[in-house]
Amino acid sequence: MFHIRRGLALASPGFLSILVLGFIPLSVIVVWSFWTWDPSSYWIKPDLSLDAYAAIGDAGRWKVLVWSFGKALLASFICLLFAYPAALAIHFVAGPKWAFVLMAAFTVPFFTSYLIRAFSWRLVLGRTGLINTWLINLGIVDEPLDWLLFSDFAVILGLVASYLPFAMFPLLLVLRRVEPSFLAASQDLGAGFMRTLFSVILPLTKPGIFAGFLFVFVSAVGSSTEVQMLGGAGASMISIMINDVMRVVNFPLAFAISSVVLVALFSLVIVGNAVFGLTKLFEDFK
Amino acid sequence: MKQKSHHLFSNLSRRQMLKMTAGSVGALAASSMLPGMAHAAGGDISFWGSGTLDIGDKWQRAADDASLTISFTDNGNDPGPVVARLVAGNANAVYDVSGLQGGAEKELAAQGAIAPWDTSKIANWDKVWQWAKDIPFLYHEGKQYGLPGVVNADSIIYRKDKLGVVDSYGVIFDPKLKGRVAMEDAWINSAIFAAMYLKESENAPINEPGNLTEDELGLVMEFLIKHKRDGQFRTFWSGWEQGVQLVANEEVDAMTGWEPIVYEGRKRGLDVEYAAPVEGYEGWGNNLLLHRGAVERGLGDAAHEFANWIYDGYYGAHLTQMRGYVVPSDNNIPYAAANPDDIDPAAVENTVNHVRNKFNGKIYWQNTRPDNFQLYEEWWQKLRNS
Repeated sequence: MFHIRRGLALASPGFLSILVLGFIPLSVIVVWSFWTWDPSSYWIKPDLSLDAYAAIGDAGRWKVLVWSFGKALLASFICLLFAYPAALAIHFVAGPKWAFVLMAAFTVPFFTSYLIRAFSWRLVLGRTGLINTWLINLGIVDEPLDWLLFSDFAVILGLVASYLPFAMFPLLLVLRRVEPSFLAASQDLGAGFMRTLFSVILPLTKPGIFAGFLFVFVSAVGSSTEVQMLGGAGASMISIMINDVMRVVNFPLAFAISSVVLVALFSLVIVGNAVFGLTKLFEDFK
Repeated sequence: MKQKSHHLFSNLSRRQMLKMTAGSVGALAASSMLPGMAHAAGGDISFWGSGTLDIGDKWQRAADDASLTISFTDNGNDPGPVVARLVAGNANAVYDVSGLQGGAEKELAAQGAIAPWDTSKIANWDKVWQWAKDIPFLYHEGKQYGLPGVVNADSIIYRKDKLGVVDSYGVIFDPKLKGRVAMEDAWINSAIFAAMYLKESENAPINEPGNLTEDELGLVMEFLIKHKRDGQFRTFWSGWEQGVQLVANEEVDAMTGWEPIVYEGRKRGLDVEYAAPVEGYEGWGNNLLLHRGAVERGLGDAAHEFANWIYDGYYGAHLTQMRGYVVPSDNNIPYAAANPDDIDPAAVENTVNHVRNKFNGKIYWQNTRPDNFQLYEEWWQKLRNS
């Protein structure tokens, strides 16, 4: 009983901050999304309406939602494809010194702002950028490749470069669950590396894979810098669309778009937890 | 010196009090509650303007010239949030004067968020250029709600070595330049540029490019959508760095944008020019707005003193030297000429005359708040998603 009380006391500031800083504002956004714009007060009033949600279907806004989720999904999978082997290498192969160096290498990009990172890709991918210059100098192409920059390719590259570490760290965390004795047992039973990977390591690291996916996905869905800096003419993302809507003070529509995103992300977490057992990630800490 | 300290102290105290109070009661309720609670010392003006209007530590000069203590805060230059915060937020309680791109005056005045200026209280008003006084957005129901703070006119940045002399917005829509042109990622600019081109060069039935009717807007945006689908635009750009980079790294041969980008391109050794289009320039004014809250706090006269100081020469000359922007006042060049140790007179004179000359030709005024502004956003989404 004493432990429970002490645990509750320790956890209460955290719970309180989540409630005040997270749950309450998000709930308000959802409620306000059903309110109506009032020109006389220049704010919204509690005349319940679904108009804002209907407006998501106008002007192709629903496409922005779908494309944003699609881009975030693709970026998340690519991040996991890169991060998983790297995490295996850091956990199983590298010694403590090299593990530190490799983790630092993944962290270094975070020492600069999103803006600088995205902008630097312009200098690499542009018509006079590093890649086009090399390709032309090597005689591989005669003209610069325009699709390298201001394209979906550039956006995905920018998202992957920005959020790759988010996939890495949950994987390193979950790999602690893979006991060396499991691998030894697998080898003793005649399994090769691939069999051990798919039959032992992957099932045990499912929660971390999903956590890494979730971190990248949520971050990418909410991103705007990479799309504005690297995307083509008028390229949009959910946050850009919300900004456009806020510019003309259409608050209910902005709240409705935000609410749709919230519901989608919460659903993803719930379904993902049911399938991948996200909470198992923290069992080691009990 | 004592007086300065007093001003600074009183200003900070008031600011801290207001911000703390505004934060605690919430932004929405604040606009109705705080004005009565704020008692500022006379001569303290809180100027909430576009970041490019800031002159840093040179604001201190207003204390010597006009016994004004100016505290500057960047408003982000996005008209939507600024208007919302002035009407329904706490901006009227916290700030006294706005510097905002022109067009929102009518809406702000109708909402009672701003108060009319009395130009008889501004001694330098007769030094303000007449055409700047004639900017249509400055007036509402016969009263003057905006003062022209900074003016300029925008057109096309282009590579002369590649395109020769460009004198029409037609270059932006020329199929021969497919994928080699750009426009700004904002309907505030791109819709008016396209409308000016369609009206002047294609004889499209458009009355006022800065304030399009529903039908006119449809015509203009369908035109932009067609060209976007055809792959005409390399990108839509936003922000100074992006604009400079597009030109300097030869991503585009022509784009609509701001003249300072030309100077930056030339620094990189490029043969870049700024067009004088036959369709005219897009003129814009960053206008001074007097907040209702300032009047309620008894700061109306101080705000007029502030506006007078803006036109007095020091601010205009320094802003021109720092950023290439021009305050439409006859006092800037004489101030620079009389103070060569403080400022480069030739540079100021060249820039001021260059900007003034642009306005000798045809001008259509940028309007941040056209009557159908909600529809503009709707069409801009369609353009993005086309």
